[in-house]
Amino acid sequence: MVYLAYGVFLIGTVARLVKIFREPKNPNTLQIYPERRPRWLWALHDTFLLPTVRRHKPLLWVFLMSFHVAFLLLILGHLELLAEFKVFQVIPHEVFLGRGFVGLILSLCLLFFLFRRFKSPVRELSVPEDYYLLILLFLTVIFGSEMDWARRWYGYGELTASDYRAYLSSIFLLKPAVPETMMFAGHSFMMVLHVFFANLFIIFFPFSNLMHSILSLPMNKLRRG
Amino acid sequence: MDEKTRNDLLKLFQGKLNQAMRFYLETCTRCGVCTEACHVYASMPQVRYIAAYRAEIVRRIYKKYFKGQGKAWPSVGESKELSEMALQELYDAAYSCTGCRRCMVYCPFGIDTQMVMSIAKLLLIGAHTEPEILTMLADTSIEKGRSLDLFKEGFLAGIKNLEAEVVKRWRLEAGETAIPVDVEGANLLYVALAGAHSIIPAAAVFNAARENWTLSFFEAVNFGAFVGDPAKTKLILERIVNEAKRLKVKEVCICECGTAYRVMKHLAGKQPFTVSSVTEVHARYLKEGRIKLDKTKFSGPITYHHPCQIARNGGVIEEPLYILRHLTNDFRDMSPEPKYNWCCGGGGGLVALGEDTLDFRMKSSTVKVDQVKKTGAKILATACENCHTQLSNLNERYQMGVEVKFLTSMVADALVR
Repeated sequence: MVYLAYGVFLIGTVARLVKIFREPKNPNTLQIYPERRPRWLWALHDTFLLPTVRRHKPLLWVFLMSFHVAFLLLILGHLELLAEFKVFQVIPHEVFLGRGFVGLILSLCLLFFLFRRFKSPVRELSVPEDYYLLILLFLTVIFGSEMDWARRWYGYGELTASDYRAYLSSIFLLKPAVPETMMFAGHSFMMVLHVFFANLFIIFFPFSNLMHSILSLPMNKLRRG
Repeated sequence: MDEKTRNDLLKLFQGKLNQAMRFYLETCTRCGVCTEACHVYASMPQVRYIAAYRAEIVRRIYKKYFKGQGKAWPSVGESKELSEMALQELYDAAYSCTGCRRCMVYCPFGIDTQMVMSIAKLLLIGAHTEPEILTMLADTSIEKGRSLDLFKEGFLAGIKNLEAEVVKRWRLEAGETAIPVDVEGANLLYVALAGAHSIIPAAAVFNAARENWTLSFFEAVNFGAFVGDPAKTKLILERIVNEAKRLKVKEVCICECGTAYRVMKHLAGKQPFTVSSVTEVHARYLKEGRIKLDKTKFSGPITYHHPCQIARNGGVIEEPLYILRHLTNDFRDMSPEPKYNWCCGGGGGLVALGEDTLDFRMKSSTVKVDQVKKTGAKILATACENCHTQLSNLNERYQMGVEVKFLTSMVADALVR
């Protein structure tokens, strides 16, 4: 399933991007004034620092920034589960980085995003896709984090980072094998559920508004001119 | 709706799908940050007036017919069939949006709701359910361009009658023409609106600045843009472009009309002339010392309403403020950041629809009324015909106690000999 999920994710995302970027450009500017230069730098600023959200919905901004930073750390953490990257150890840390707090922050942020959709007017704006994505990501994060929390906070030592690394590397090297320690560990079901929900999430990616992660920058560039 | 009509409409939809439009239709996360951005929602807090909600009406049809998700799993994105009911929803969304693009300032991605609404407007045209009056006005403009000779004489006679009024405001040397028309080799082609108020003050200022100018045969307003018909918008625009090329002018100056200015500035493409708004030209005359203004002409505090299409969407922000600094010592800023200025509520063709939209325009613009009242100004200046009409209607309805004036008229009234 992992390969199927990654296949759908990669092919789907590339196909969508090719379709979008092959369309003709808008003949006129879609800029908002006053203009600030350099435009590309301001577009980066708008994309990564979300100044409009900070100004109009400061609480949402705190959660959004926390979420996106934590998500980035999460990706780095998974890369470290794949292999050792010296560059990531600029600040020495134990794998998985974040001492369990990355997952905790992500979980809290996702709950916040989910529950704010229960309240008007965001409730009326939302479509099932918005809830499904948040629930799917929450389930992925909670089961993944639980493994980390168990090791870090409850002294659960049956599974170590090297076990996860062995599993992830085997997938990456196209020789999938689940280490015995992982197969018979008490937390193996969490691993299974974590991978399952993560697969669903990335399968959904190219067909959903998650494409905003790629399209946000060119869109902000349009606004900046 | 029969299959053929639906297919024809979907072809129109497909024609609007360029790169930017795909961005806008693929990306919204429905975060709700744009909720308070719309003056209509701020004045009448109903979900249907939230920018994201309006856009979602178009997006649901997009999902249904142009996205795999809508075909494989329609309920997940609530994709929707293009039907008579959908057309009604599109009408309500498109003609309650003034296209001010204030929501674009709020959106973390910069989704342009006005552009998304252009799909709705085009579908309505395709289904012949657009506001008929706008199409008729657009057709009249196009016809005027096609048969200029038929109305030329009448136009010139009408202009002749206005010349005395111009001379009253600025006396000319003997032999000079107060309102030059069809002058080949003039520096500036002024494109006015139909109506003396758009011609007389501007002519006086051009003459005072000793400008080598000529008046266009055509009115600036582009009803094709209001109704959302790209073909008609282009035809109406081309009349002026062709005239400017024929007369070999260096600059085309658009009168106080927001849509006309933005269409000319952004849709004309690369041309052998520059495009300016009359406000920019007046500010330039002041900077160059070609005109001088009497600061004592107007008493009482003055505020200025930045027309959305000229300021937020056109970039003319500093120029009117520069002019106003020459007109008063008591200028009251309406919005410290012009890009956040509230729309007057009259754009997008709503004012052109007249009485039909009056009640909605009045109810949907109470935030504008509050904004104006807060300044304590006695004169409310603006530089757009639509805004002027809408603000005057608001002034009457809500007793704002201001005098609504065109900036060009104020400049003409304050000219120092």
